[in-house]
Amino acid sequence: MAKKILGNWNTRTIVGVAIGVALFGVLMVYGGVKVFTNTSLTSAYVVVAVVAALFGPVPAAITAGLGNVLADLIGGWGFWFDWSLGNLVLGFFTGLGCVLGSNVKEGVFNTKSAITYALFVLIGCGLGFGVVTPVLTYFFYSSELTITWGQVTAAIISDGLVLLVVGIPLLIALANRNKKFTGLSKD
Amino acid sequence: MDSFGKRLFIALTPGKTFLDRLQGKTKIRLFFAFILILVATWDMRILFPILIISIIGLISIKPEWKTVRGLTIFTLLMNLFNLFLIWVVSPNYGYSQVGATTVLVRFTETYILSAETLWYFLVRLTKFMATFFVSLTFIQCITPSEMAAGLYGVGIPYKISTVVSLAFRYIPEIARDFNEIKISMQARGLELDSRKSSLITRLKQNVLILVPLIIVSFDRVGNIADAMDLRGYGRMKTRTYYAEHELTKGDRIINIVNVLLYAGFIAIVVVRIVSHREFLIWAPWVK
Repeated sequence: MAKKILGNWNTRTIVGVAIGVALFGVLMVYGGVKVFTNTSLTSAYVVVAVVAALFGPVPAAITAGLGNVLADLIGGWGFWFDWSLGNLVLGFFTGLGCVLGSNVKEGVFNTKSAITYALFVLIGCGLGFGVVTPVLTYFFYSSELTITWGQVTAAIISDGLVLLVVGIPLLIALANRNKKFTGLSKD
Repeated sequence: MDSFGKRLFIALTPGKTFLDRLQGKTKIRLFFAFILILVATWDMRILFPILIISIIGLISIKPEWKTVRGLTIFTLLMNLFNLFLIWVVSPNYGYSQVGATTVLVRFTETYILSAETLWYFLVRLTKFMATFFVSLTFIQCITPSEMAAGLYGVGIPYKISTVVSLAFRYIPEIARDFNEIKISMQARGLELDSRKSSLITRLKQNVLILVPLIIVSFDRVGNIADAMDLRGYGRMKTRTYYAEHELTKGDRIINIVNVLLYAGFIAIVVVRIVSHREFLIWAPWVK
């Protein structure tokens, strides 16, 4: 179980996470539609779902957290570690949702998997953006929280939507794709 | 995403200026020292000098001015808009941070413009613009390999360092894939001009490009990983980096500066905890 959560850190995982980070960062900066100040409906979270399904919770957490740092770097708008850590938490829970209910690598993703996944995504959104980010924002920047709450609401709705509405069909497609390569029997 | 290639400014070859020639390790230490101080303090007497230093740093590496100007204007407008939002939500916000209200202009009963609110906005803008210039300078003067070497040098596990440098190296690859997918989609008659399609269609098109992009990218994982394995990646517990050169004179100087900066950071945190200011921000006219 610990192995499942931590992920198997071989070269394949390292490359997978690196590509995930790059995709997440780029999509966060260029692949979004603005919904609220500094918050956009971005397709980046789909990448987190894929990494979560293929490599596990900790790789997914690193993808989301480092991906956000990378987005901050190439976007050039300064660093928001409060949001990166919120993303880290969300990534971890997305990964847990994938590990506990399904096995996309072996081609298993049924209704129960979808429900588990959706549940963990919602917990992750609530905990990551609803608790971790505002607390850290207050702690780091002691900023006016009214705007942060607006951003948090926008982030939870838009990122949750992307993770569920685009994420679940994509995971089903990935599982079906991987199913073709499983079930081999020895002659 | 059209201007993708132009707006991207990751340095892939080491430059020749003073900051460029430092070790990766030194650059990373310097960068984090500035970021930590910028997060920790709200004191204009510290923030303003850092803003000036960061601008000097940016000028010293001779960046591409067109990109820098565009980004600076964008960031400045974004921050000003956020400040405006804060003012709309709570017009007398300065009081909660500075501890006084000197009314300059009174629009209505609630909508006032006080000197303290303006001062808070100025401090906040200085803080965020300094962070922006520091990160811009950092990203322009470090190559992905140097970043990996530097992160490993400051104690990050080398597998994570590899993730960072690989991610940076992979970004141009994504740009190329994206353009290829976009062109082939357009060849099939997909309208991608934002002026001619609604929000919902644009979102749908986003997904249409996204799915092949993700599949293509993750299909490469196996190839890249095998190539790395074949070259013996990850066999040893430690790692050395070709990009990490020997200490130069500049490194020695900056290392001393770094020690001072970290000491300064600790001092700022300690003072903030010990002094227990009732209000966060110092203003010259408020006692």
